[in-house]
Amino acid sequence: MENSFKIAILCCNYTNLAEREDLADIVARIEVKRYPCSGKIEITDILRAFREGAKGVMVAGCARGTCHNLRGSDRAERRVVGARATLKELEIEPERVEMFFVSRLDAGDFAEKAKEFYRRILKLELKERTQ
Amino acid sequence: MIIAERRPLSEILKNIEAYERIMVLGCRGCVAICSAGGDREVAILAEALRLGREKKGKPVQVLEETFIRQCDPEYLEPLKDIKDKVEAVVSLACGVGVNLIADLYPDIRVYPGVDTTFYGANLSLGEWVEKCRGCGDCIIDLTAGLCPIARCAKNLLNGPCGGSQRGRCEVKAEMPCIWHEIVERLTKRGELERLLEIWTAKDWRPAGGDGLRTRFREDLLDS
Repeated sequence: MENSFKIAILCCNYTNLAEREDLADIVARIEVKRYPCSGKIEITDILRAFREGAKGVMVAGCARGTCHNLRGSDRAERRVVGARATLKELEIEPERVEMFFVSRLDAGDFAEKAKEFYRRILKLELKERTQ
Repeated sequence: MIIAERRPLSEILKNIEAYERIMVLGCRGCVAICSAGGDREVAILAEALRLGREKKGKPVQVLEETFIRQCDPEYLEPLKDIKDKVEAVVSLACGVGVNLIADLYPDIRVYPGVDTTFYGANLSLGEWVEKCRGCGDCIIDLTAGLCPIARCAKNLLNGPCGGSQRGRCEVKAEMPCIWHEIVERLTKRGELERLLEIWTAKDWRPAGGDGLRTRFREDLLDS
């Protein structure tokens, strides 16, 4: 049976080199969408991920000052702010989407942040289920 | 430009509650420039409405469209056939667009997706400030180009008022006192005595007090 607990990861092509085994500790269905640059991630992409069943959306871009398009991850961060405002209006916890600045070409940093995000979303899910 | 702001999603969702197929209609005029109703905002609102309705277990189909303008009849013509395709339209144009759709296409249920707020300037990314009230009887030739009707909280024609403190407005401390600026600017230009002139009473009829405002330019009118 397919795991209904889904986490969507929207990321820049250069921030995610993690392999399936790097994310093996995450007991959720992980859906990774790669973009040529995190600056290309739109608010609509984030909202769509929720509509398609994600319980949390991790947005990952290059660490500040390292984006080769200069401001890509800064733009992504702003889009996360916009998406959070929309989620709040829809009475969905805004912290279900979060921006992560990740070291370029470092699978370890990416995997750690993904696990950290998963734990936070799991906590939100458990809280919701006990209410 | 005309500045607008998206209405709360709860209001829009309430307006479309009864429908299963709607259209979000943007405008590439002022509302696109002020990031309230252009292509990108259409996509965001459409996705937000879909998500909001999914959450309520009552999915809605949302078509997305953006017209060049919604304040000219010819650009609205594609709406002729729209009532067969959707049950309602949420327009992200300013109130002008919504009204014109309602006037020209009475069979279409059109709802405003934005609140039309003011005429303003885009000072920096994400920041818009009112500069004109559209009162129809411009006096800024007398006030160094700075409008006290739009930019004074009390719309004073003779200021600064007693509440002006160190160049700031007493109503909103973050707002400069525009009369303070007018006096400073005219002083600097050596034109302060202009304020001693007795102005004729301001005509408020063009501000809307005389009913619906219209403008005709005879050389352009179809005979």
